[in-house]
Amino acid sequence: MPDLNPLYLTPRIEPVARSVLDDSELLRQLVDGLGSPLNIVLPDLLEANVEAFRESYRHHRLRGRVYFAHKANRSAALLRRLAAIGDAGADVASLAELQHALGAGFGPERIMATGPKSREFLWLAARTGVIVNADSLGELTDLAALVAEHRLPRVRVMVRLSEFASQGVQVISRRSRFGVPAGGLGEVLDLLEKHREELEPVGVAYHLDTIGWPEKAIALEGCLAALEECRSRGLEVRSVDIGGGFGVNYLADGAQWERYTSELAQAVLGRREPMTWNGHGYGLRNEAGTLRGVLGLYPSYRPVSGPGYLDQLLEAHAPGLRRPLGSLLLDTMYDLDIEPGRALLDQCGIVLARVLEVRDSVIRLDCNARDVSLEEHGVLMDPLVITADKSDTAKAFYLFGNLCLEADLITRRQVFLPTTPRAGDLLAFVNTAGYFMDFSATQALHQPIGRKVAVYRDGGAWRWCLDEQYWPVHPRAEES
Amino acid sequence: MRYDDMTEAIGNTPLVRIDPAVHGLRNIDLYAKMELLNPFGSLKDRAALAMLRPLLDGAVRRGDTVVELSSGNTAKALAMLAGMHGLPFKSVTNRMKVPEVKDLLLLLGAEIEELPGQAECLDPTDTEDPLTRMHQALAADGSGYVHTDQYFNDDNVEAHFGGTGPEIVKDLDGRAPDYFIACVGTAGSSTGVARALRQHDPDVRVIGLVAQKSDFIPGIRTIDEVHEVGLFDPGVYDDLETISADEAIDGMLTLIRRCGTPAGPTGGGAYQGAIRHLRELDATLGERRTAVFIVCDRMESYLSYLRERRPTLFGRPARRHDHRTLTAAEVAAAPAIDVPEAQRWPGLVVDLRSPYAFQAQHIAGSINIVDEVFDELLHGGLPFSRRQPVLLVCPVGEKSARYAALLSRMGHPYVRSLAGGVIAWRDAGAPLVRD
Repeated sequence: MPDLNPLYLTPRIEPVARSVLDDSELLRQLVDGLGSPLNIVLPDLLEANVEAFRESYRHHRLRGRVYFAHKANRSAALLRRLAAIGDAGADVASLAELQHALGAGFGPERIMATGPKSREFLWLAARTGVIVNADSLGELTDLAALVAEHRLPRVRVMVRLSEFASQGVQVISRRSRFGVPAGGLGEVLDLLEKHREELEPVGVAYHLDTIGWPEKAIALEGCLAALEECRSRGLEVRSVDIGGGFGVNYLADGAQWERYTSELAQAVLGRREPMTWNGHGYGLRNEAGTLRGVLGLYPSYRPVSGPGYLDQLLEAHAPGLRRPLGSLLLDTMYDLDIEPGRALLDQCGIVLARVLEVRDSVIRLDCNARDVSLEEHGVLMDPLVITADKSDTAKAFYLFGNLCLEADLITRRQVFLPTTPRAGDLLAFVNTAGYFMDFSATQALHQPIGRKVAVYRDGGAWRWCLDEQYWPVHPRAEES
Repeated sequence: MRYDDMTEAIGNTPLVRIDPAVHGLRNIDLYAKMELLNPFGSLKDRAALAMLRPLLDGAVRRGDTVVELSSGNTAKALAMLAGMHGLPFKSVTNRMKVPEVKDLLLLLGAEIEELPGQAECLDPTDTEDPLTRMHQALAADGSGYVHTDQYFNDDNVEAHFGGTGPEIVKDLDGRAPDYFIACVGTAGSSTGVARALRQHDPDVRVIGLVAQKSDFIPGIRTIDEVHEVGLFDPGVYDDLETISADEAIDGMLTLIRRCGTPAGPTGGGAYQGAIRHLRELDATLGERRTAVFIVCDRMESYLSYLRERRPTLFGRPARRHDHRTLTAAEVAAAPAIDVPEAQRWPGLVVDLRSPYAFQAQHIAGSINIVDEVFDELLHGGLPFSRRQPVLLVCPVGEKSARYAALLSRMGHPYVRSLAGGVIAWRDAGAPLVRD
């Protein structure tokens, strides 16, 4: 029995973002003046997002630093606002990101360098004294040589580990490009001892690309064992870095998500009208009437996410030591470092796009799928229609992008909109600051990359400036 | 009754009438097919035997490992059967949600592999999910595995078409029941039994029960998940209804407490779903009818599932000397000392942290009683002489303050808590040792 009601996926919008969206005059002026697409970042929200993670730390009585994973958004405004928040740190994964963080006001004690690194990146990291989170034995060797050759100060390093062994039940994790297998720790320690003049080990790290916490529980317990081995060899390690991947809840209503995914399965089985362009199945396929494959989508409705997910991990029992991981961290007195990206940017951004044309069941937008890369990341949520016409004309549309390319659909699914927009109206893609704003944007076909503005509260009204003009000392801040 | 091996005890389970005083139906006789009496504990014994039997000779000759995607009864039955032939068994699962089942499988000698969770940074171009990869690995020649493939294997249906179904007809004196109610897991039993009953009487009404989408009932698929089952054919069921975990537990409790039937949640769900469906019909009937449902397995494997969903069932009396009964004022008044004073402490130092952390670093001369063990000790009374000075130490001075308050309340005159805990001790530069 197909469900013929509109299949909305209404985004979760908290009051601050809602109040910006309600200021439709401001939004229209911005797009009129700066073009479509237009990226809005909301730096004012960062403090509460950092604080929510801090609250989880306090609850578990843990110390350590919350590092913002810079790669989630290139914005200067967001980075500078974070630099103004007492103890927040920055996780940088390229030479330019490191320069950006130093320039935004982060001192070296608040910066962690991660990811694959060039010699130049390693040099600047060592020169300025940030923590280098090393991916491999080779990187540690290169770093030590660089430090010796250029007579740089001793560098604080963390060692990223991978391939943790599970006991009893074998828990499989995806293979990772990064990290030293935990079984090879002895070799790492030999190397660190050999280079004790150049390298100062401060802890170990893992980062797993999974939403499943049981895999992370095994990795965290593995890191505790590794730290114990470091200490038994006389190394004064003090922290464990568990990376990011805390997730965001994008949708307001779990029932909508359940209904949508159920109907998608029905559509793939041919039991209702297709809901997607060319019957795309998002990973599901129909094999002789049986549903095969796996839904390749981010769980857009995710009630346990962000700090809640951290709580869940810390309350999970270590499979071997049989005590909650949070208690073990506290007992052993290690600091906990985390690197949330999208979770710290929850609610902090909006992408606006102008409607160029509305015909039949198609809306053509002045932006492309790279400008608002929800689809690339498997996140399904509806845009909001910013229009003067509030009539109730609900309808389903495909959203076409501005590239001369068959595949340029903003999303391959039909999007149900409660109001039919007209040419010139705007669509607002909310909660897009984390990875969906500028991560993949390109200038293909000479189409412009969206300009970015910071919108902030000042004197009881919303004000804006170009992203690179924003500093956390806007002129009339004291009046607000 | 003398058998050569346990497999001969599989099947021929009794059909037991449920007391009308319990179910309250006036015109319908309700029977339970007691599949929980199979030797390995569930109706999956039949399917496991039927699926494995044709593969056994080859597997034994090659020394293959038997493998199945199962987080429950099929895995248990296959592990026992494989073990009887000296073959290893491996269960691959998305996530085993019931810890007792995991422990039972390990006890049976099974190897368990859990597949990875979904990627946080999704790569939509990676269309091969871990399950598909596993299927490809199993299908390769000389893989060293035989895969029983319960969700697609027709022998699963056949076991019930040739066994469970005809047994029901025989026990009803050669008649098929008017209604047959079953939970849908692999769809093997419901499909096989329905086919056998309908061969006897095409008018049998078959009611399939599935779980609500966001719900979890071990052994029952949700309304979406059934479409992933190769054996599932919606045409088998006259009605497909949903059942909630709450209803399944209600049904379990009725079967356990009133019917002498130690059923698991699938049996409970089938009973409750049967009553819900039949109650309306019952009032309109002018003649006697018969209904049959299946009790799939036993209750023992689901204690933690029940504890989580119905904690009141396990209510225990309050224990003596429970630190949870302390008031905020009592905790605030707990006697505490700072680090300099603690460094001069004349008596016993008890470290409440985990042994693992204690062994890494501790205050010289202290002893380690981890908080959960200390908690147990205190329920029994004071574990120290009243003349023995005791300093309690924990990470930040919070747990130690609670226990100092509790010991004070229990009448110990000379107990102290280290304010700020071992972290304050470390931060003050006081020595920690590992020995």
